[in-house]
Amino acid sequence: MRIAVCLKQVPDPATVEVDPLTAALDTRRMLYIAGPADTAALELALRLAGPTGQVSALCVGPPAADAVLRMALAVGATEVRRLWVPPFLSLQAPAQTALLLAAGLQRATIPDLVLCGARSSDQGSGQAPALLAEFLDWPVVCDVTQIAMEGDRVRVQRRLDRGAREELEVRLPAVLAVEANLARLRHASLPGLMRAERASVPVSHLEDLGLEPADLAFPTASVRAVTPPRPRTRPIFTPDSTRPAHERITQIITAGVTRKSGKVLEGPPAQMADAVVEFLRERGFV
Amino acid sequence: MALLSKEASLALVQQVHRLIGMKNGVAPHDAPRPRPQRNAPRPGAERFDVIVVGAGPAGSAAALVAARAGLKVLLLERGEYPGAKNVSGAAFYGSAILHDLIPNWWEQAPVERYLTRRVLAFMTAETSVAIDFRTTRFAEPPYNGFSILRPKFDRWFADQAVAAGAFLLNAAVVDEVLWEDDQVVGVRVRRDEGDLRADVVIACDGANSFLAKNAGLQREFHAHEMSLGVKEVLALDEAIIRERFHLHDNDGLAIEYIGAITEEVSGGGFLYTNRDSLSLGVIGQISSLAEHKRRPYELLETFKRHPAVAPLVRGGRVREYSAHIIPEAGWNMLPKLYTGGMLVAGDAAALCFVAGLYLEGINYAIQSGIAAGETAVAAHQERDFSARSLARYVERLRARHVITDFANYRHAPALVNSPRLQNLYPEIIAAGAEQVFRVNGGPKRKLLPIALEALRRAQVSPVHVLQDALQAGRSFGW
Amino acid sequence: MVSIPLEERMRTVRFKVDDQPHIVVNAAVCAKCSVRACVYVCPANLFVPLDDGGILFNYEECFECGTCYIACNQEGAIQWSYPRGGYGVTFREA
Ligand SMILES: Cc1cc2nc3c(=O)[nH]c(=O)nc-3n(C[C@H](O)[C@H](O)[C@H](O)COP(=O)(O)OP(=O)(O)OC[C@H]3O[C@@H](n4cnc5c(N)ncnc54)[C@H](O)[C@@H]3O)c2cc1C
Repeated sequence: MRIAVCLKQVPDPATVEVDPLTAALDTRRMLYIAGPADTAALELALRLAGPTGQVSALCVGPPAADAVLRMALAVGATEVRRLWVPPFLSLQAPAQTALLLAAGLQRATIPDLVLCGARSSDQGSGQAPALLAEFLDWPVVCDVTQIAMEGDRVRVQRRLDRGAREELEVRLPAVLAVEANLARLRHASLPGLMRAERASVPVSHLEDLGLEPADLAFPTASVRAVTPPRPRTRPIFTPDSTRPAHERITQIITAGVTRKSGKVLEGPPAQMADAVVEFLRERGFV
Repeated sequence: MALLSKEASLALVQQVHRLIGMKNGVAPHDAPRPRPQRNAPRPGAERFDVIVVGAGPAGSAAALVAARAGLKVLLLERGEYPGAKNVSGAAFYGSAILHDLIPNWWEQAPVERYLTRRVLAFMTAETSVAIDFRTTRFAEPPYNGFSILRPKFDRWFADQAVAAGAFLLNAAVVDEVLWEDDQVVGVRVRRDEGDLRADVVIACDGANSFLAKNAGLQREFHAHEMSLGVKEVLALDEAIIRERFHLHDNDGLAIEYIGAITEEVSGGGFLYTNRDSLSLGVIGQISSLAEHKRRPYELLETFKRHPAVAPLVRGGRVREYSAHIIPEAGWNMLPKLYTGGMLVAGDAAALCFVAGLYLEGINYAIQSGIAAGETAVAAHQERDFSARSLARYVERLRARHVITDFANYRHAPALVNSPRLQNLYPEIIAAGAEQVFRVNGGPKRKLLPIALEALRRAQVSPVHVLQDALQAGRSFGW
Repeated sequence: MVSIPLEERMRTVRFKVDDQPHIVVNAAVCAKCSVRACVYVCPANLFVPLDDGGILFNYEECFECGTCYIACNQEGAIQWSYPRGGYGVTFREA
């Protein structure tokens, strides 16, 4: 089994500091990591590939991003590659990242499965995996919460809104974008760590990938101006003077927020149970 | 050696002999403890000529020296990068030493400001009396000292060891040394397949010195031998710093505070200027903090609110808070510095010089690191890694004035931590100064009666003062 | 603001929290201790005395300084080690 994992280097959220006056990010104080969804993808790849499988890790990023690829080598990735563009191109759109990843994957032996983190912890738009699948013309499942291999198919569970889950079966090759809490990355062995530290990380530039700057000309959002966030003025709550004192006090301490009213059922248990079922049925839950 | 008094050199010789003579490595003033189990390395462990544990100033210096001599050196660091776990003030006074190792090092290293002004301030709750020393002679290469930030400095220094050929491995905690017979032959890193072999292990793992303890070279510490430092880096505009501290350019100052700054707790405070921030903190003896039930960060707040400190830090935004311990007992807590296959350097060997106006550890760490590196190189030349061969480490430390400084100042820690020196004398100096400067229409009095009255009011007998003066003289003067 | 509460100050520090604690406090020993030096000396205020006589300890925001075990006078109360490689506190300027 051959699995490729896409990793992105992001600022550790614990090190992102905003200047209170200018609202600028203090980049000098940032430390970089691979996001938790990405490391979950890497751990799952290592587990699914097993001791005989191949796990390769790809990262679109500047030279400093070698660190996340070294981390992947340390825990057992068999191969890594960093993909990068000339300095005059600044990568902004997820489509650009996805195109580079697709090109990187197509240059090497095509894997059976590509795992990505569902969302990066900086931008977090979650688009790259889907766009990557589009460029590869493969199926994709996002927000994956469970994976089980079954021959040339994978059974996956996917997170929907409000706690709902969807089960799907996908034929390989496919792209799966996994959620952050799916797996915790293993601790590298000492020989693994040393091997990773000694390795040189290969880099593919645009021309190595058979791409030209024009290929990356996707529409991107451009920054017109940056306005520091202004604290929102809060309306001062004044209690309704026509109400009795105890109600006004209640209004003050709840700041006028009224809770959704509940309904308290009374009666014998069977009757109450019926009422609950009826309530759920009315609203289409059952 | 010429500077050493007869008594001190005698004590030194005795101590060195005691250090060398100790058999099982248990420090003399220690009750026997159960010896930790001695494990041997697993077969197949990778081998190095030298393994240095800890990429602080001691470790990077040792690794640099050994790597330059062509040895296969592994530098192990538990942090994500060298300096990630390290805290100092930091005023670094080892510029000349480092200049010998890396000429004009300050041109490439991340330094903050070269220190041309040193202030020693005696504090009471409302008053401060300061000695302010300033010289342009410290503004010339190789400079006397620099303010630095450890996470940046340590990273740079470790990179110099790497450039010399050392292999740096971060995120590797060493848990124990490994033995064959009575010889240390490697270390165990807390990771799968974590064993490594080396002819010489140099423990530079800092103040807690778990490796020295694990190898039986150091005993457990007492709470009165260790101090805790808590520190803040306050962001402040470069121009404001220059103006506020009367600086011209990239020059800077270091202030040490003693007296009521730590209230009744034995300790002191410091404030150093960086390029666009201030480093300030308080240091308190651990036993004293516990005895007086004082929380270190509350002392830091009191310090920042002191009328003599508040205007200096005004407008500063807290960029980072940190804490670290400092071995304070000097000579009295030196471990056995070596055994077969192993050397101990820097804070791990308690080679941190703390006495009132002095808080110097980084320079001694580098000195001892160099001495340890050189000893490892010499041992390799002779292929002899026995305790006898490594004993020459002590001679090297003496030649670099490390051992001698600690021997000469061996009385200082007790004196500096005495309640009279901690609070009473600053109080008396401040009260006396107030008398001298206060103009209230009464007669102008001479200094001696003022001093005597201040002493009388503090209920200190002149005999005590004389004793302390002698003790101070013995500790600092001659 | 030069004066800030401890919690805010702690937010300026980066911690990479391991799922295994590197310091383990023995509740039974602590319950019998009347000195409780750890409560006062810890620079990150990680030891919180409880009403029932016990000590609540959190390892997550530990500076790894060692002050607690040096101050502790109770044999076996604090089992102390550094966190695994790559975890724990990371200073950026200190
Ligand atoms: C608040 C404060 C202010 C100070 N101010 C000054 C000052 O102004 N000037 C001055 O000269 N000195 C000062 N000092 C003292 C100075 O910090 C020390 O003396 C100096 O850091 C000692 O250097 P070292 O290399 O021996 O140890 P450290 O700097 O402590 O380095 C030890 C290294 O070993 C690593 N390590 C530890 N254990 C392990 C392990 N088991 N496995 C792997 N790696 C490990 C650590 O992560 C660290 O990188 C101050 C200290 C404090 C706490």
